[in-house]
Amino acid sequence: MSTSRIAVLGLVALPAAFFAAFFLVPLATVLIASIMKDGSLTAANYTRILFDTYHWEVLATTFRLGLLTTVICILLGYPLAWYLVRMVRWKAWRRICVILLILPLFTSNIVRSFGWMVLLGRNGLVNESMEGLGLIERPIRFLGTETGILIGLVYILLPFVVLTIGNALARVDRSVEHASADLGASPASTFWHVTFPLSIPGVVSGAIMVFALAVSAYVTPALLSGGRVTVLAMLIFQQYSSVFDFNYGGALAITLLAFTLAMIAAASLVSRLGAR
Amino acid sequence: MAIRVLVRLVSLLTMAFLVLPLVVIIGASLTTSKFLAFPPEGLTLRWYEVVISDPTYVASFVTSTLLAAAATLVALLLALPAAIAIARFDFPGKATFSGILLSPLVLPHLVLGAALLQFGAPLGLTRNFTALLVGHVVIITPFILRTVLPLLTQDQRSLEEASRDLGAGPFETFFLVTLPQIRSGVVSGAIFAFITSFINVELSIFNTTGELNTIPVQLFNYVQYSIDPSIAAVSAATILAAVAAIIVIDLTIGLDFLSDND
Repeated sequence: MSTSRIAVLGLVALPAAFFAAFFLVPLATVLIASIMKDGSLTAANYTRILFDTYHWEVLATTFRLGLLTTVICILLGYPLAWYLVRMVRWKAWRRICVILLILPLFTSNIVRSFGWMVLLGRNGLVNESMEGLGLIERPIRFLGTETGILIGLVYILLPFVVLTIGNALARVDRSVEHASADLGASPASTFWHVTFPLSIPGVVSGAIMVFALAVSAYVTPALLSGGRVTVLAMLIFQQYSSVFDFNYGGALAITLLAFTLAMIAAASLVSRLGAR
Repeated sequence: MAIRVLVRLVSLLTMAFLVLPLVVIIGASLTTSKFLAFPPEGLTLRWYEVVISDPTYVASFVTSTLLAAAATLVALLLALPAAIAIARFDFPGKATFSGILLSPLVLPHLVLGAALLQFGAPLGLTRNFTALLVGHVVIITPFILRTVLPLLTQDQRSLEEASRDLGAGPFETFFLVTLPQIRSGVVSGAIFAFITSFINVELSIFNTTGELNTIPVQLFNYVQYSIDPSIAAVSAATILAAVAAIIVIDLTIGLDFLSDND
């Protein structure tokens, strides 16, 4: 017993100390700073978020972008996951698709957003080809609008959704579907009554992950907004890098953190319920 | 049938949507024009030469590589013992311990970066390599832990016990018996960790300076003020490096996890 206790201590001591020093204590520092002002305890930093209409607007933009990103990611991601798991018969092609799906995850947000800056510019490929096709007469403004940020966020977060839904679909027991078909159900009715419900946990956990990542995204909105649209993460960065108000910045950071953690908690609850 | 065609169409368009920006960057990096153009005007590797002969790009590249390598090494030294402790022992606070080590996976990196800046300021732990390193270790340790944990299965215990009974010490047992069985997880976890560190902006941005800069942060700063094909060349180089890394992962652990077992 005592040797295993020494073994555990030997294994755990270093990682525990490192994470205490460089993870827990820094986060605690932010939390404490967020409830302090001029050396005394206060809720002023949080009430300032609550009562400032400009910040309401920023929060609303952040939330709206998060929600739209999630919905579009699911609408595009579900068919693609289905295609990869169920329709692709040629193994090499699926492998290429999976590699192409993972590739964006291995490249910096900067590089990926930069690609869209090139594509969505006034004379970018998107505007030029739409003009060429006669769909529009004047170039559409994408950069510096919520639409531009939305395109960038969907692009960056779509692989997560496809991978989570794809994993859920690959695990669906096909014999249940065969049983449904044997009992006379049409393919559509088998999908809606058997397969889709079984894939819901994957959809929900993918959706919540995307929402959490979208509301905390910094690089993509910063690059594609051109300074015209502000989201919560940009507000936090301003406080820390140029305003140097660590108390108010702390309150904003804790707000974002609490929001994200609530999302994660919901996700794990759903996946636990789904596993039952 | 109509639905199958629709699904196929949407899927292929979505795949094109995922690949397009990367193709555009690689294409734009080859242009002969002085400004960014896609499709490229003519083909040249001139912008890659510009990048290689620019000392600030080279310095950032060296910093990024050293940082990612050092962070991965430290993260391995933290994650492997932690994984063994979680998989092989019962101890009070185990759930909290693994929860804390895994939580950087889901926390906004910007918040962590801000926290480390605020925490490090009074200690002089800002805007230097060590400050960057500790932050990167925190965000990448969970990647290794997450890929290694599922591979430490209960049935390996009897092998480990046999090794001990035959007189091997705990370190010998780990390196000769346990490690070979979890090697694929260690390799893929370490590659993921390295890449995650290499492409990070949100955490690094708080602690980089003009002299000490990482590639993605430098790109981030450039892209906001001026855009020329040399930025596309740097970006394209990172994309090609990512392709190489993915092929290595595919060959070591295989990426065919979306296949249907029917």
